[in-house]
Amino acid sequence: MNMKRHLALTRAGIMESLQYRLGTAVTLFANLIYLVLVYFLWKAIYASAGTDVVNGMTFTDTMIYLILATALFNFLEMFVVWDMSRSIQSGKIILDLLKPMRFREYTFWSYSGSHVVLFALTFVPTFIVVLIVTKGAIPMGINLLWFALATVLALIVNFSMEMIVATICLYTESTWGINIVKETIVLLLSGASIPLAFFPEGLRQVVDYLPFRAVYDIPLTILLEKNGSDTIEGLLPMFGLQAAWALILTLAGTLFWNYSVRKITVNGG
Amino acid sequence: MENVLTKQKHRRGFRFYASIYRKILVQDLKSKMSYRADFIISTIGMIMTNLSGFVTFLILFKNFPSINGWDYHHMLFLYGFSLLALTPVQCFFDNNWNLRFQVQSGDFIKYCFRPINVFFYFMSEVFDVKGLGQFAFGAGTLIYAWVNIGIPVTPLLILKLMLFLLTASLFMIAIMNAAAATCFWIVGSGYVMVIMFRFKDFAKYPSSIFHGVFRILFTFVIPIAFVAYYPSLAILESDSVPVLTWCAPALGVLFFYLSYKFWMLGVRKYDFTGS
Repeated sequence: MNMKRHLALTRAGIMESLQYRLGTAVTLFANLIYLVLVYFLWKAIYASAGTDVVNGMTFTDTMIYLILATALFNFLEMFVVWDMSRSIQSGKIILDLLKPMRFREYTFWSYSGSHVVLFALTFVPTFIVVLIVTKGAIPMGINLLWFALATVLALIVNFSMEMIVATICLYTESTWGINIVKETIVLLLSGASIPLAFFPEGLRQVVDYLPFRAVYDIPLTILLEKNGSDTIEGLLPMFGLQAAWALILTLAGTLFWNYSVRKITVNGG
Repeated sequence: MENVLTKQKHRRGFRFYASIYRKILVQDLKSKMSYRADFIISTIGMIMTNLSGFVTFLILFKNFPSINGWDYHHMLFLYGFSLLALTPVQCFFDNNWNLRFQVQSGDFIKYCFRPINVFFYFMSEVFDVKGLGQFAFGAGTLIYAWVNIGIPVTPLLILKLMLFLLTASLFMIAIMNAAAATCFWIVGSGYVMVIMFRFKDFAKYPSSIFHGVFRILFTFVIPIAFVAYYPSLAILESDSVPVLTWCAPALGVLFFYLSYKFWMLGVRKYDFTGS
């Protein structure tokens, strides 16, 4: 594999996302306000609970979980579905298909640049702020390394899901509808809008085996050393789930894409 | 010439605009019908978002008995109220989301050439049918909560509900108008709309949970507190209605007017670039 080609795409992506500085700045600022809203909401919720610990989560745990989930969301968010439908409509997709690289690879590496920028600009600052504000509520040890690994796996799972949904766009022009269905399901079942620890037992058991959890819940659980993830026995099933879904979804996505791309019709060409 | 046009404009009243709106609406619906799959998928998407919001709600209340003194049914009332108040912006003002593309590509100029109000013409072009699903969902939730709280059904209360729902919806329309109009000045300002659309998720919680600067910010600057909280108090606490609730109708009209002026200011600025 020629890494140079891939890194060229990464570099192009970094430069492109640095172009929109105003947008990035405003978004960062708005995210801060959004996080303040989340803070007020959960403070009120815990104040009326009467106890400090609910389902094994303290107020601080919940806040760290939700804030970092938002930060992860901002950094993992991809617009593959939108970009795909736009390039199908404009016909640009033909050029991308003709590139001397597999389309899937090309897409992945084109996005890698913006991931790098967003990681540095949104996740790292948020993490540092949380670290300072909570004064050491995040354990600092080997878990950081596991968290990094889990985040890379999360990125792969997320990308695979995006690609599968984007492939559906080859069949229908209903981009808005497809995208909103995907987003709603992922945000709810991955724990990004409400920590999975609060889910009722029955639902929890189902959600535990679905791929959505691999995107937000697993990295954050590992970071906070919850659910026995501070031991190797606790870590293995989590990484196992992530790796299994990364593999299954990549395979399924590739097959689906290869089958569908033959059917592609572009107006005007 | 100028004189004749302005004269004509004055004569055009509500009936003229209503008949135009109906004609454009029929055209829009006809073109939507030809994309049946899109319509079905979008409707499913809309139902899913509402359902997921509802599930989050249920999970929250499985773990916590109340939020800031608001119990399950009162929160449901607020939730249903917010969904209903958000319906008009979804149904009638959805074209705001296309504004930045039209402005950027230059297609927007076509709206300036008609002898009718630009804002009206632009908004009338899209009627979002999906919003009706949200309306049904909100109405069901509100009625369920209404019955369970045991609020009496009197003509006066129904009238109050109508008035305050209408008021509440003006605030969200104003927010989205202003957010969309930023694209006249900033290229690619779609993120402003996305951010405002995310803030509206907090309309369904009692604004009493916010404190300090943020309370003022979300009451008077980005008025999400008025999308559900203050207006719904008119029905939930009929005996001790806060002053801000009574101010809501006037404020709603004011916010809407300001956002309209801001939007039109953008149009004028767009004219001047002459592209």
